[in-house]
Amino acid sequence: MKIAIIGTGYVGLVTATCLAESGNSVVGIDKDASKIALLESGKLPIYEPGLAELVERNRRDERLKFSTDLGACAGVQLIFIAVGTPESASGASDLSSIWAVVDALAAVVAPPQIVVIKSTVPVGTNRIAGERLSQRLGRPIDVASNPEFLKEGAAVDDFTKPDRVVVGVRRPEVGEVLRELYAPFLRTEHPFLVMTPESAEMTKYAANAMLAAKISFINEMANLSERLGADINDVRRGIGHDERIGFQFLFPGAGYGGSCFPKDVRALLAMGRSVDLPLRMMEAVDSVNEAQKRVLFSKIRKHYGTGLSGKTIAVWGLAFKPRTDDVREAPALMLLDALLKEGVGLRVHDPEAMGHVKAIYGDRLIYCERPYQALEGADGLAIVTEWQEFRRPDFGMMRQLLRHPVIFDGRNLYEPKTMDAAGFTYYGIGRHGR
Amino acid sequence: MQLTVVGVGYVGLVTATCFAESGNDVTCIDIDAGKIDGLRRGVLPIYEPGLEELVERNLREGRLQFTTDMGHALAQGKLVFIAVGTPQDYNGAANLNALWGVAQSIRELAGESKIVIVKSTVPVGTNRELAMRLNDGAHIQHHAVSNPEFLKEGHAIEDFMKPDRVVVGVHDAALGQVLHDLYAPFLRSDHPFLVMTPESAEMTKYVANAMLATKISFINEMANLCEAVGADIGDVRRGIGHDSRIGFQFLFPGAGYGGSCFPKDVRAMVHTAEGVGYTLRILPAVDEINENQKKVLFFKVTELLGTDLYGKTIALWGLAFKPGTDDIREAPSLILIRSLLGAGAHVRVHDPAAIPNVKAVFGDRITYCDRVYHTLQGCDALVIATEWAEFRNPDFDTMRQVLRQPFIVDGRNLYNPSEMSRLGFVYSSIGRQTVMPAAVHSQERRAA
Ligand SMILES: NC(=O)c1ccc[n+]([C@@H]2O[C@H](COP(=O)([O-])OP(=O)(O)OC[C@H]3O[C@@H](n4cnc5c(N)ncnc54)[C@H](O)[C@@H]3O)[C@@H](O)[C@H]2O)c1
Ligand SMILES: NC(=O)c1ccc[n+]([C@@H]2O[C@H](COP(=O)([O-])OP(=O)(O)OC[C@H]3O[C@@H](n4cnc5c(N)ncnc54)[C@H](O)[C@@H]3O)[C@@H](O)[C@H]2O)c1
Repeated sequence: MKIAIIGTGYVGLVTATCLAESGNSVVGIDKDASKIALLESGKLPIYEPGLAELVERNRRDERLKFSTDLGACAGVQLIFIAVGTPESASGASDLSSIWAVVDALAAVVAPPQIVVIKSTVPVGTNRIAGERLSQRLGRPIDVASNPEFLKEGAAVDDFTKPDRVVVGVRRPEVGEVLRELYAPFLRTEHPFLVMTPESAEMTKYAANAMLAAKISFINEMANLSERLGADINDVRRGIGHDERIGFQFLFPGAGYGGSCFPKDVRALLAMGRSVDLPLRMMEAVDSVNEAQKRVLFSKIRKHYGTGLSGKTIAVWGLAFKPRTDDVREAPALMLLDALLKEGVGLRVHDPEAMGHVKAIYGDRLIYCERPYQALEGADGLAIVTEWQEFRRPDFGMMRQLLRHPVIFDGRNLYEPKTMDAAGFTYYGIGRHGR
Repeated sequence: MQLTVVGVGYVGLVTATCFAESGNDVTCIDIDAGKIDGLRRGVLPIYEPGLEELVERNLREGRLQFTTDMGHALAQGKLVFIAVGTPQDYNGAANLNALWGVAQSIRELAGESKIVIVKSTVPVGTNRELAMRLNDGAHIQHHAVSNPEFLKEGHAIEDFMKPDRVVVGVHDAALGQVLHDLYAPFLRSDHPFLVMTPESAEMTKYVANAMLATKISFINEMANLCEAVGADIGDVRRGIGHDSRIGFQFLFPGAGYGGSCFPKDVRAMVHTAEGVGYTLRILPAVDEINENQKKVLFFKVTELLGTDLYGKTIALWGLAFKPGTDDIREAPSLILIRSLLGAGAHVRVHDPAAIPNVKAVFGDRITYCDRVYHTLQGCDALVIATEWAEFRNPDFDTMRQVLRQPFIVDGRNLYNPSEMSRLGFVYSSIGRQTVMPAAVHSQERRAA
């Protein structure tokens, strides 16, 4: 099939590349000329494991092209919209990019072309987009919903081996076109689910809401465990074997970040407000998370007391999660801000995200290429992201490099007992009454 | 081994019977003489599938004894399980009076050192205090062990004999070993025996129930939003469940959770947290959503029949807080019945197991029906509050004929809305759009 993808961010670029890889002719369109120029020169604007190789191969084989011109939609069968839908001041999704694209498309599309919204959009957006486009065209055109569930850091895998593909359509024929497109990626136990656009739109929010709820739930339980003298890790072991609960996504930590959970939870709240339905659970999930992002800082401030100013803290991990360079709403940023405000010197390390962090903080931080370098002369270490390479470090070396052997572990990477024995003062989340 | 089990409610009786079944000599003691009397004759105070047969067998083979004499019971074994109730107090806290009463008896009556194992669900720190109450200044020193119970009513025997996991909270590894030996017949390699501190074990029980309650309130909140924005929670469930981090389990929208555990355990946690100056946010939301959800059935009845229900007759299928049990504690059905009676409606009810318990609450203010369809006679609407298996595939034609009006409010989403519309019902469910009888059907009916 011939396909256009509008928006070449995480979702758009991965979608374009994977659809090209399965044999389609794909053009990725973005209004950001510098991004397109970068892509045309064979470079990627984002870090995503395995993506660079795929982009290169499909560009070489001419199945993948890039353009800044919406006119490139001419002659394609499917037009995917994958532009950003960030949080607006009210918390609702800012749909201005969606509407800009929909309105511009009116000049270049015609039935039987099908427009597919991949961006995460509030329930009702597909309906309005369909009405708006049909009205401008003077005849009906199909607009389908196809929310994306990929995870940054595992995006290519997630796209090519999806748990499920969800499409929201008004006509079964449109569903069939999309089923054919996704057929190469589907396995029997990975279903293709057809529903209304409203249910498809809602599905995306409900999925992220459940995941965010699990995180805030376990964080709330961790904080309570800490105060009651229980150990959240034992509690996790104790509950996880119940298959109605499981172990997945119940890791206590420093709060969730990223470009999806925070904004999608708030978009849900806004949706609730628009129909006069207060969403108590989602409010709680959001406020627990905001508080959780400050937990590491509270522990640090409590440890150093009034002597905090002038100290140097090493920070391992800046990205909102491992295997990505994305720092949007990352808990690390909140910690950096709070520590800078207290006059703390910061030596930071992240395997992928330092470029983005530098763009925000400039020379207010010391950027260290290697993890151990960050520890040199520091009065303590804060771990914010659970990159694989932080899991089994050389504790002997760490103790030597740190001026004071104190670790604030926002991801519970180590065993408190081991750390005690290794001579560290160790703070985890929800453990050891600290 | 010789065991004493204190309290023969759901948990105590199942624990005692299953341990007897695995070859131990078990003496049960309860302060309720009526219960003990019945049990001696093989009459069970509760309904639990498969339990009666097991009690009878172990009674016959002499491995199971019942008494009201604490001194006698304590003379029987080294291990004492406490499974008394820990109900919700007026302020939401767990009421530990029964537990402390038992502790006092052990202290006064036990002639030798005991391993006292708390099976009841108790707030974090209770085992610590129990050890003090048993031992401070006492001549004989006892051990306190936490061993929370995870069985589900309706599946209690299965759950006890094939537990997902056994959790034990001890400070002394040797005590853990004693319990490990006792549980060994029930353990499989993938069903671990987990040893931790009493604090973590106590916490585990609450966190497990809190997570389950959270999932229910989560999906109910999403269901209500779906209704309001025109999405279908059934499709949304399909859409999210294949993500293994989410799954399908325990994400069924409904009329709210009830029972003797989730509501009280969630509130006990909120109360415990307040005690240490930590304000929970998720759990109060879970509780509040659930309290509102229990009112949804009544609200939906008024949506279909109008707010004036005076003189109307409503059929209700399902009274127990969930299928497979006769337990009606905190059941959504009770809230509905109260609201309907308050509005001047007549209520006809059916439940395969819970009618006696409901009779004890409402007496002759409602009509009890033994047979499913008989319940519907002359009714203006049917409400389904519990998803008993026998409600899943009913004879819809009979239902439509017996009901005065073909109105159904389904609090458990048992049926397919478009199918119900085709069959000629006005069908209202949770998180899905209410459907009207399909035009074809009304034409057919008119023709007929
Ligand atoms: N990032 C994720 O992990 C993820 C996962 C699932 C769903 N989503 C959703 O997918 C959507 C895109 O997310 P993302 O992370 O890829 O965003 P992004 O910010 O990385 O990319 C958006 C791209 O759209 C381009 N764009 C904006 N307006 C445009 C216009 N008028 N014409 C052409 N291009 C335009 C931007 O230049 C940018 O390159 C969002 O709705 C998001 O919620 C994201
Ligand atoms: N019911 C469940 O599904 C379940 C599951 C797991 C845990 N639990 C927990 O187990 C505990 C017991 O629950 P249950 O549902 O079995 O309660 P229940 O009310 O059915 O039984 C409690 C029994 O203890 C007896 N009792 C009270 N005080 C006593 C005393 N001083 N001496 C002797 N007997 C006494 C009562 O007469 C009653 O028979 C509670 O803490 C509950 O939270 C219950």
